[in-house]
Amino acid sequence: MTESSNSNQLPPDVLRGLLSPRVSRRSVLQAGGASALGVLLAACGVSGAKKGPTGTAAVDAAKAYWEKQKKTGSFNFANWPLYIDVSDKNKNDHPSIDLFTKRTGIKVAKYSEVIQDTGSYFGKIQPELAAGQGTGYDLMVMTNGVYLDKLIELNYLIPLDQSRMTNFNANASPVVKNPSYDRGNKYTMAWQSGITGIGYDPKRVGKKITSWTDLADPALRGKIGMFGDTQDLPNGAICAIGVNPETSTEADWRKAAQWLKKQQPLVRKYYEQDYIDPLSKGDIWASMAWSGDIFQANASGANLEFVVPDEGAPIWTDNMCIPNHAQHPLDAMIYMDFVYQPEIAAMLAESINYITPVPGAAAVIKKDAAAATGADKTALEQLATSPLIFPTASDSTKLHRYRVLTSAEEKVWNSLFEPIYQS
Amino acid sequence: MSRSRLGARLTPYLLVLPGWLWLVVFFVVPTFVMLSVSTQTGDIVSGFQQTFHWRTYVDGWNQYHTQFIRSIVYGLITTLLCLVIAYPVAYWIAFRGGAHKSSLLFLILLPFFVSFVIRTQSWNFILSDNGMLLSALKNWGLVSQDFHILATAPAVIGGLTYNFLPFMVLPIYVGLERLDPALLEAAADLYGSKTATFRKVVLPLSMPGVFAGVLLTFVPAAADYVNAAILGGARTTMIGNVIQTEYFTNLDYPKASALSFILMAALLLGVFAYARVLGTEDVLDVAAR
Amino acid sequence: MDVVKTPQQAAVTVEPPPGEPVPAIELVKIAKTFSSRRGIVTAVDAIDLVIGEGEFFSLLGPSGCGKTTTLRMIGGFEEPTEGQILLYGDDVVGVPPNHRDVNMVFQSYALFPHMSVFENVAFGLRRKAVSKAETKARVGDMLDLVQLDGKSDRRPRELSGGQQQRVALARALVNRPRALLLDEPLAALDLKLRQAMQLELKRIQREVGITFVFVTHDQNEALTMSDRLVVMNAGRIEQLGSPREVYEHPRTRFVAGFIGTSNLITGRVRAMDGSTALLEAAADECLVVPEAASAGAGVGRDLDVTVRPEKIVISEDRPGSGRCAIRGRVAEVVYLGTSTQYAVATAGGTELSVFVQNASDADDIAGRGADVWLSWRPDHSLALVTTQPAPAESRSDLSGGNQ
Repeated sequence: MTESSNSNQLPPDVLRGLLSPRVSRRSVLQAGGASALGVLLAACGVSGAKKGPTGTAAVDAAKAYWEKQKKTGSFNFANWPLYIDVSDKNKNDHPSIDLFTKRTGIKVAKYSEVIQDTGSYFGKIQPELAAGQGTGYDLMVMTNGVYLDKLIELNYLIPLDQSRMTNFNANASPVVKNPSYDRGNKYTMAWQSGITGIGYDPKRVGKKITSWTDLADPALRGKIGMFGDTQDLPNGAICAIGVNPETSTEADWRKAAQWLKKQQPLVRKYYEQDYIDPLSKGDIWASMAWSGDIFQANASGANLEFVVPDEGAPIWTDNMCIPNHAQHPLDAMIYMDFVYQPEIAAMLAESINYITPVPGAAAVIKKDAAAATGADKTALEQLATSPLIFPTASDSTKLHRYRVLTSAEEKVWNSLFEPIYQS
Repeated sequence: MSRSRLGARLTPYLLVLPGWLWLVVFFVVPTFVMLSVSTQTGDIVSGFQQTFHWRTYVDGWNQYHTQFIRSIVYGLITTLLCLVIAYPVAYWIAFRGGAHKSSLLFLILLPFFVSFVIRTQSWNFILSDNGMLLSALKNWGLVSQDFHILATAPAVIGGLTYNFLPFMVLPIYVGLERLDPALLEAAADLYGSKTATFRKVVLPLSMPGVFAGVLLTFVPAAADYVNAAILGGARTTMIGNVIQTEYFTNLDYPKASALSFILMAALLLGVFAYARVLGTEDVLDVAAR
Repeated sequence: MDVVKTPQQAAVTVEPPPGEPVPAIELVKIAKTFSSRRGIVTAVDAIDLVIGEGEFFSLLGPSGCGKTTTLRMIGGFEEPTEGQILLYGDDVVGVPPNHRDVNMVFQSYALFPHMSVFENVAFGLRRKAVSKAETKARVGDMLDLVQLDGKSDRRPRELSGGQQQRVALARALVNRPRALLLDEPLAALDLKLRQAMQLELKRIQREVGITFVFVTHDQNEALTMSDRLVVMNAGRIEQLGSPREVYEHPRTRFVAGFIGTSNLITGRVRAMDGSTALLEAAADECLVVPEAASAGAGVGRDLDVTVRPEKIVISEDRPGSGRCAIRGRVAEVVYLGTSTQYAVATAGGTELSVFVQNASDADDIAGRGADVWLSWRPDHSLALVTTQPAPAESRSDLSGGNQ
């Protein structure tokens, strides 16, 4: 692992004194109590973003970097739980990865579902990256928003090899090409996208839910779930008051916070991620939800519905990116473009049910449906036409990106929304 | 000669050295780091600078005093419940356990061989609105259809009580177990009824165990976040949850540190006050024996 | 001292015979068995005992003889498996300790460590709701009696062993119990303190006039302090009597061996004259044992005889007739200060101990290897019951008949 010699963070020798040198920092940090100390020490040391080269110099630097890289035959992949296809027989076997290995000879040496939450994961890798050490992964999936912005801003990501994005250029949906949070796809390529809308149990609720105001219906007192975070909760609430979060103002935020506060007595719980289980069990009847989760729950027997509320809803994208000091960047780069083949995208979409970045996957799924029989056939047909996987044009107008916040704005934002879910 | 005598004099200090080292590395240093972080300003992108911004403490208190007070209250109720449950259990094992004392203690500890989180999660399963307990009660018409336990204060306090019960049972048991049976006979011999014997002899002599049990239960219960996260809901957030979120999700290290410090100070103050009021000479004297 | 009744009498007697002390405690066929892993263990085997009011009565015996179990049954800490315990005529079996008007001094003292000396002593009075003023006065008096005035605010652990002992005593006595039970109360003290406390206990008992039932394994303690005592062995009573009776007239081999140093001579009975037995011996020797018939002596049978060492006289020449006399050779001479102990081997092969006071005219009676005569008054020859202890009834008859 290379040490960044001009690091203006905590001197590496100090860190090395505290942590044994040959053990990867990752495993040290995972060792319980030591983790808080590591975070703290690193926090002491963070004293400003290290800006990388810009403009043509940056392009040249990236080019020079990629020219030096060689295929190693394997790479390590950090992903979220239940966010890739699995074979029917073995939960740890991923057919799309097997196919990748077959076609390219590159293995995924380590596939870990270590990302539970963008902020937490950022907090985990930030000290490692700040210390100029690798994370142990070559590819990770980060949701767009503050933390991805921070990774880019802090220069913690390796710029992609633009010459190896053939499939992407040919097949990617316009939604994920040149996104606002990463102009020119300099650092990221979309993995999947999702909508933060409302999931509910129509049998228990007893009516059709169409609007955010249904989540403030006193009839559902104690049966309402909301997200407990500073991303989905505020952005959803801003949608609820009829404002596009991307262009919202501080006044809008206050109004949204007001809306949430009024709703609070009806809320059963502000969930981090674990809302699906209580929703299927009936502990809650309606909740803020991510589109794919509802689809997956239904696939395993639940009877839930997902709606994009009339007022609009946040859409977010999880992005593949390569963290600094990756040991196998070229192998990761090859994989990133590999999944942009409609055939592969279809494999993933059929399994994880989020919005695929490859619209061409619909045709593949239709073809699969034609070949299938029985329940599989109806499921695939449904999938191929589902607006939650291939959003319609009318849906698209209702979907809004998260608000990008400056540091100063973030303080105000957090102080408005944190106390609501930390009630 | 003089060298060896010097060595002999240094030996006790050398022997406690690992203890001190442990304390310094794992308590003193982190505490100072945390104190230093708590007065810094900035954010994770632009970095944190030491600006001695004590205002964070005021803001933290203003923003989260409800959660602070709630944690203390939950902690106190938990401690009281644990005491009420643990004392008879410990008493029964110590005096009626006979040859099975160790097996009974082992039974008390048995659930705690399973991870804290999983144990708590299983309560989430049991107490779920349509889970085995509530659906039965609802079927028998004992509770109304929209009755629920999860996401309420009783659920969180119940979870805390369940999880910290052994911390109360064990010290009380140890205190009762080493009580000389002749003292009980003496009390009976001196016309003490069972009640009087308990009140005048057993209870006072078990106070060191109770004292330890109360500390061992209250401190972690008040600082806990797992129970509120799993069994709680809106309006049951404890300060531990806030600190956890600020550290690990929002990455606001100064605020998290400041909140931790306020919690630590509140607990320390409480413990000292408690030791002053209840931990009188009597209790500590007996404890020291 | 003629207070012992046969158990038959004790069981039916409600009114004590005139002129005798009122019986404070009567044990009627009291038995206690424990079940243990090795089966049923008999701790106390159907004993009968009558203890008079105001007596200082000791239960003496080796550990495991059942003396402590007996005491604890009187105190109510153990319930007898069989039999009756009468306290001033009332059967108290089944009555818990806090409703029995007896108090106990525990071997470990069992002082309440969290209470001051005053509070310890006042414990019983407070339970009996005695008024504050009276409590204060009685505790004060009692602390005076045990010479602990001025220590009433101390904690037990701030006191010496002897002082703790006195607190335990005061704590029990302050309740004016009908009997005080003491379970080896002096065992934890060192020799000097123990001797001082023996006298002290005796004084206190005289002053308060309460019945003391005292358990000890120390024969000196029992002999020094008791008005009467029983020697117990294996859950049974071996002998009951005053210290002098038990010492001077041990009835069994066990008692003879357990109390004091004793010499044991075994011989065949050559002839009986009334109850007096004549043992086989050399022509010029003489071994006469009076009152041997009651010990089961018969012509042609072996008889165990004991003679206390201080009763034996050593001489070079054969003593005159009218004394028991046998020959021996001095095997060892041990100088003991006030006396000298001689170990003398007899022709029959037994070794006898002889204590000789070191009076001014008693220098160097005999040296090692000297051939000597040992003699004593015939009435100092004590016939012992040699067979295994007979059933309790017959043994009690024996002791009763001895009076």
